[in-house]
Amino acid sequence: MSITRREWMLAAACWSEVLRAQTRQFAFFDPATASEIEAIACQIIPDDDTPGARQAGVIWFIDGALAGYDSDKRELYKLGFAETQAKRAQMFPGSTRIAGLASGQQIALLKAIEKTEFFQQVRRHAVLGFLGHPQYGGNRGMAGWKLIGIEHQMQYQPPFGYYDAAASESGSK
Amino acid sequence: MAKELSTAGFRVVVLEQGPWRHEKDFTHDEISVMYRCGLTNDFRKQPNTFRKTPAEAAKLQPAVEYGRMVGGGSVHFTSNYWRFHPEDFRERSALGAVPGADLRDWPIAYDDLEPYYTKAEWDLGISGRGGSNPFDGPRTKPYPLPPMPVKSSGVLFDRAAKKLGLNPFPAPVAVLSRPYRGRPACVHCGFCESFGCEVGAKSSTLAALIPEAVKTGRCEIRPNSYVRKIEIGADRRIRGVIYFDAAGREVFQRAKAVVLSANGAETPRLLLMSKSNAFPQGLANSNGNVGKYLMFDNGALALGLFDHPLNEYKSIVVTRVLHDYYRSDPKRGFYGGGGLDSRFDYYPAGFALDGMPRDMPQWGSDWKRAVGQYYTHMMGVLAHSSCLAVEQNSISLDDTVKDAWGLPALRVTFQNHPDDMKTIQFLAERQKEILETAGARKVWFDPVSLEEATYSRHLMGTCRMGDDPRSSVVDRWNRAHDVPNLFVLDGSSLVTCGRQQPTATIQALAYRAADHIRQAASRGEI
Repeated sequence: MSITRREWMLAAACWSEVLRAQTRQFAFFDPATASEIEAIACQIIPDDDTPGARQAGVIWFIDGALAGYDSDKRELYKLGFAETQAKRAQMFPGSTRIAGLASGQQIALLKAIEKTEFFQQVRRHAVLGFLGHPQYGGNRGMAGWKLIGIEHQMQYQPPFGYYDAAASESGSK
Repeated sequence: MAKELSTAGFRVVVLEQGPWRHEKDFTHDEISVMYRCGLTNDFRKQPNTFRKTPAEAAKLQPAVEYGRMVGGGSVHFTSNYWRFHPEDFRERSALGAVPGADLRDWPIAYDDLEPYYTKAEWDLGISGRGGSNPFDGPRTKPYPLPPMPVKSSGVLFDRAAKKLGLNPFPAPVAVLSRPYRGRPACVHCGFCESFGCEVGAKSSTLAALIPEAVKTGRCEIRPNSYVRKIEIGADRRIRGVIYFDAAGREVFQRAKAVVLSANGAETPRLLLMSKSNAFPQGLANSNGNVGKYLMFDNGALALGLFDHPLNEYKSIVVTRVLHDYYRSDPKRGFYGGGGLDSRFDYYPAGFALDGMPRDMPQWGSDWKRAVGQYYTHMMGVLAHSSCLAVEQNSISLDDTVKDAWGLPALRVTFQNHPDDMKTIQFLAERQKEILETAGARKVWFDPVSLEEATYSRHLMGTCRMGDDPRSSVVDRWNRAHDVPNLFVLDGSSLVTCGRQQPTATIQALAYRAADHIRQAASRGEI
């Protein structure tokens, strides 16, 4: 399976976050595990034509969650991570890590485990880290909120959307 | 209640298990509020067990959610403020018995409660247009405030419903459309449901009434005070309560009378924990009815995708409602009915996690792109549908699981009556009809909401009101049949659950009971 240029760049992009981690310490993960979890998060929310898990710093959110309020999920991560690595080795003999797989291979691996509690938990964490409040380390530059098109202001005035604007216009005529 | 009694001259101590928050303590933080139980009971500290029927072994599984703070559920609720209809109080007489359920008439009628609905609406500050719902009972006064500005969801819902020959009306909501009694109007920030209001425009008891109570100098709010037992004396009357303070120390608070408002799950739990020689089955439970007839929050959520942006993330959740399917119609062949409202109550992460159609991928580039397109272009129609009272659906004490204070955990037993499920299905078709008529490009359902309920934020029915002390827990004044100085004011005294949205009725009952307490006390009858 050949790697496209885009896939290579995405893999490189995910790695860059881990390199950054060498200067900023993770609170829970070791850097190697972080790069593997981030590879999964980057397939759940890819950095494609808009920022995804990597650029939003989702791994930092997950790290903080497991170090803090979601510390009771550590066991799930540990077991699920080991099972996922076993699955990887079985599906792609000779491979050594998830982050080293081609994008298509990563997707095939995640499809094989997408019903597991572990995958669902990583998905949950990735989404919270992408669309939750930036104060938890994720959603950098409000990348997630920009994607879904919200302004995130403290107050708004009517009209709020297309249909109420149209109704008030026709009503005021 | 605290406000009514303290302004009437009584000395009141409010014991609340949660904290006393203020506007400045509330946030727009979805992670804290929705995923870390920021304002609600935390299952990790206060676990519950769940089973569908008494034949099953109960397992650890979150089943109840409630506001855990001064002001309770009124702080974080969506703010729908519906009166019950006159028919709600006498469904048994009108419809007859429902096999497998215990449908009963209330001991009081709508007319008994009407003055107190009005009082609550004016005291709290409710926005709406009186008389706009043709199915409502008579009212003595309009709402104090005009309706909130209609959102795109309301416009689409209104238009479609009228096309279908239905009667949509502006939602009555506990949110200020204009400044009222020193509180500001809503700023449309969009963080209403599940959140506390940062400007005090949501008409919670916290924002509207607690300050009035405190101002009297006769009401002390004691937050972080977790009551574990109500104590009675040799005369079978309450002497006071024992609670854990914030430091975990036990404190005894003497009381001439106790008003128990711990919600439809915690109220029966506390009564069941308050065992004594006089009440070996738990306080006020001589007939064994405490905890029984638990009613849940039913109704499916239909979602629709539209061509143009609705931007439903702005402003309050609900701006239009219809009650055309509210009444139980024997022609349908089953008991039940519901109200429908136009809404969108997903926050960003929750939407991406659970709100997308299940026939689409749930992760990856296509999903991500769709999440980006859908969020601002969607609305929902939610059904608030009936839930029959069934004796075995109940709150009881778990045999083995304890909470972080060492007290027996809540055990929830609940399974919908078959008619509840038929009602949900019937209404789901109506919801779909409305969204399609409104021009939705795609319509789907939150699949969980179509299944039997295993989780509820509305907790009702567990200390039923009735005239007969053999078959009910409290009398028509919300006073315990067994204990003359105990009053129960929350969802637990509800005989039927109407069509959900119980807040207005609970609050009207509280105003009515406060009147009664005042009068009874002046006659020396408490």
